[in-house]
This record gives sequence, C-alpha cells and structure tokens, in this order.
Amino acid sequence: MSSITTTTPTKQPIARSRGLSLRTKQILLAYALVAPVVIWRLFTTIYPFIATLLLSFQDNSPIRRKAEYIGLENYEQLFQDLRVRESLGFTLTFTVISVTLQILLGLGIAELLNRRFRGRNIVRAINLLPWAMPAIVIGTAGTWIFNTDYGLVNDIIWRLTGNRPLWLVEAFTAQLAVVLIDVWKNTAFVAIIFLGGLQGISGELYEAAKIDGANGMQRYRFITVPLMLPLILSMTIFISIFRVLTFEVIYALTAGGPGSATSVLSYAVYLEGFRVLNFGYASSIAMLLFVIVLVMGIVGFVFLRRAVERL
Amino acid sequence: MTTFQLGKQARRILFGLLVLVFVLIILLPIYYIFLTAFVAGPRLFTSPLTYFPTNISFERFVNVLDSLPIWRYLFNTVFLAVTSAVIALVICLLAAYAIVRVNFPGANLVLIGLLASSMLPPFTTVIPLFQMYQTLKLMNTLQGLLILYVSAMLPVTTWVLVSFIRQIPAEIEDAARVDGAEFWRMLWYITLPLLRPGMVTMGLINFIVGWNEFFIPLIFARGIESKVITMALSEAQSVGSSSQFYQNWGNMSAVAILATVPVFLLTLFFQRQITDGISSGAIK
Repeated sequence: MSSITTTTPTKQPIARSRGLSLRTKQILLAYALVAPVVIWRLFTTIYPFIATLLLSFQDNSPIRRKAEYIGLENYEQLFQDLRVRESLGFTLTFTVISVTLQILLGLGIAELLNRRFRGRNIVRAINLLPWAMPAIVIGTAGTWIFNTDYGLVNDIIWRLTGNRPLWLVEAFTAQLAVVLIDVWKNTAFVAIIFLGGLQGISGELYEAAKIDGANGMQRYRFITVPLMLPLILSMTIFISIFRVLTFEVIYALTAGGPGSATSVLSYAVYLEGFRVLNFGYASSIAMLLFVIVLVMGIVGFVFLRRAVERL
Repeated sequence: MTTFQLGKQARRILFGLLVLVFVLIILLPIYYIFLTAFVAGPRLFTSPLTYFPTNISFERFVNVLDSLPIWRYLFNTVFLAVTSAVIALVICLLAAYAIVRVNFPGANLVLIGLLASSMLPPFTTVIPLFQMYQTLKLMNTLQGLLILYVSAMLPVTTWVLVSFIRQIPAEIEDAARVDGAEFWRMLWYITLPLLRPGMVTMGLINFIVGWNEFFIPLIFARGIESKVITMALSEAQSVGSSSQFYQNWGNMSAVAILATVPVFLLTLFFQRQITDGISSGAIK
C-alpha cells in the first residue's frame, strides 16, 4: 500500500522542459484528472453531510422561519421519540431478517444458475429482472399484489389453504410483506455475485475431492463453503448497509404503517424533513442513521478481517 | 444399475421442478402487473383471479398518455439516465487511469475517500442540498438533478474501472511508451480499446441505476420540466373519471410497464455483460 502512495522516481529519463521534470508534470496531470471526481463528491456529499451535522444542533424550520442553535435538544428528543424508536427497531429487524434470507437464497440460486442445463442463459436473464426493475414500481405494485381480495399473493394462498390473510392492515403481516418484496427484488443481485464466486473456484478441486471419495455434501462443506466465506461475509456487510437505507418500498407499499410498524429511519428522515419541514430534527435522525451505517461498516470490516485471517 | 439410473432421473426432475418454481416466483408478479394494465375493465378483479384473460385493451395506456405528460417524463428520464451515465464514465475513466498508472501521492487516499463518501447515504445530505438548490435556483431543473445522479455513480464507477485497468498488464503500455506514445495517445489507442467491454458494462449498469432513481427526483423535481417516469405512478392514481380501485391499479400498472419495459429489454439483451459487470465489481 505504501509503495503506491510514495513518489518513486520512474525509470524514464528526466526531460527538462519549462523547468518541470516529466515526473512532476505527470503528477500534476494526474491531480487534474482526479479533480473532477473529487470536487464533485466534495460538493454533493462531504459538504452537505457536514451541514447536516450542524443542522442537527439547530431548531431549523423554513415554515416557522427559525434557525437557532439549541445544542443537544434534538438528540434528547430523538431518544424519547416513540416513532423514532419504532423506526430504529424495524430498521434493524428488517435488516437482519432480510439479509439472512437473501444470503441463504442467494447461495441456493447461485448454485442453481451454476449448473449446466438447457435454457440456463434465459433463466439467468430472468433472475436479473427484479434487480433491473425500479424499486418504486414493485413497491407500488405491492399494494395490489398484497390486496386481501384481489391480490396475487392471497389468491395463491387461498387456492392452497382457503385463507385470505390481511397483509397490509396488521403490523406483523405488513412487516412480512415489506421483507418479502425486498427479498424478491434484491436476492438476484446477491445470487449473481455468488455465482461469480462459484465460477472462480477451480473445477480441479472438486475432481480431486471426488477421487478421494468425498460426496456432494462433503465437497460443498469442505471446498465451496471455505472458499466462498470471505465473499459471503463481505456481501453480508454490504447488503446490510443497503437494507438499512431502504426507502422506496416503504414509501410506496406501507408509508410506514400500520401506525409506524413498518417505518424505517430513512422514511422518518423524509417525513420529518420534507412533510413536517423540521430540518433540524430530521437532521438528527439522519445522523442516527449515519452512525448505524458507520458502526456496521467498521465492525463488519474489523470482524471480517479477523474471520478471514483465521481461515 | 437401474436404481442408480432412476435416482439420476428423479434428481433431474427435482432439479427441473426447482428451476420452474424459481422462474414462476420471479415472473408471476411481473405477469400480474402486465395483466392489471392490459385486461379490459374490472375483468381481472374476480375472486379467484383470472390468470388467462380473454379481453385485452390498451385503454389504460391511452388514459395515462392523454392525461399525464408521460412523454415529457420519459424524455427527462432518458436524458438523465444517458447523460449521467456518460459523464460518470468519462470523468471516472480519467480519474481511474491517473490513479492506476501515475503513482501520485494520495492516489490511495482518493480511492479510500471515495469509498468512505459512499457510506454517506443520501438521507444524510439531502436537507442541506435542498437548501443549497433553492439558493442556487437548481430546484426543478434537469441540470440540478444531473449533478446528483452523476454524484451517486462516481464511487462505484471509479472503483470498478480501477480494477479493470489494473487487469491490463503494464507491459503493453511500456512497449507503447518505448515507441514514444504519450499519455493521451496511450489512453486513447492502447488502454481504451482494451477497456471497451468494461466501459460498456459499467455504462449499462449506470444507465439502469439512473433510470431507476427515485429519491432524488422525489425531493428535487417538482414540475413537468424535471419529473421522471416513476413519479407518474402516484399521479396515475387520480386519472380517469372513475375512482374504482381497478381503474387506479390499471392506470398505475400502465405507468409501471412504461417505467420498466426499457430496463427489462436492456437486461434481457445484455444479460451476460451485466452479470459479468456486477460480479467483477464485487469480487475484485
């Protein structure tokens, strides 16, 4: 790593022109080439992020025409706010359940798509459709897919069991509906990445194990799992962070309801910021969201490193 | 011997069944959205459902196209997705090339900084951006949205292009350098042709990401000048004389199809490139 950051002189002859060495000119050119990306990100994320942090210490609302420093009051309110607490709770349960399902199903689907069979390319393409579709479309369609009387899901359940559960009306089933839509939409992405991982494992390993008399389960347990583990672990962190930031499905399918049973922190930021126009308080919820993402990133990174090293 | 054969046969059937269930789970909801849009009147909404309708009509499409500025929304969507994908590709290529080939001080810092900045979700930046956009008169403009669309694409695109460029052996460029090729010529004539498949894939993925963007336009697009097709979903609800639910759902489905078919066609057509792109970005 350090070898990349240090300025090692290149082997090229140092041609002097306009007082600058070739190497210096190259470095200046490199800075110029990197500048657009860096400046673009500074203005659209770093600067507004710092501004959000500052806003979170303010009572700031454009409709009340207020902008004054109030210290930690927003944060004090945050920890007593039942709605925020519920949103935090569902954000975390939703993440854990949805990620677990996606990792397990993703592994299974990857295994399926890795087999040789006729029409495999078509099935691989079909697998990508939910990924390619706008999240807001499936979230919106979910409102009638989960309709009690005419919905697709209840039609199938009714044909199989004779029951018609109320999906979006009750807390638990509404939460389940959110998880199901999320899994339906996003497992394809996980499966494709695992498929790439499986394809990277040399076939010779399996052949050798076969000769040594290992059966299918053993080969999976002792070859596939250990070799895939780093990928599985890093994907777990990666998609967990994405789950914490889920917005569209909640916005379209349940609007956080019933009550705030399916509200998540991102949705709470949206409501507080752009419906109530309470910029200061919304910013403090956003900071809570950021802290969760940060902790997940750091904890995940450190633990994964250790887990991978132990292998 | 026969039991072995039978076992093999049974396993094949089981596998086929598994594939069938998988395909059905994915396709049924999509098929159902199509049905909702195309079936005439309230005919779909029978209990139990009618899966094979006899009356197909385009009435919902005519409805939404008549009463909403759908064409303008589609134009905005295409413009934003194409332009942002191209801009991101160009400036990320330049940055990635500089990062890999010129070992300038701070090259790693740039890469790590980009990764770290992608940990700042839109929800933690959107309020100040909203205030900034109001002062700068960027609200409800395509260029304002474009800035944010591109921004969202920069970290991943740079990282993926860096990993692609690293796979090109430096010797190829060294040989060209000996022949006297300069920086720009080397990028244009040597590196870019080798990168073309990766660039195409990244462009496609960015186009799809741009097409599907919803949160950014939800906050920053307030009128016909900049609204995108996915925003017509909720608008379609109130279209038409009837407030019947099948009317609303039908209209929304028609918009859903307009918002989805283009990305579906791309995905079906470029399945292999997209699959490779997603997995190479993650595994590297």
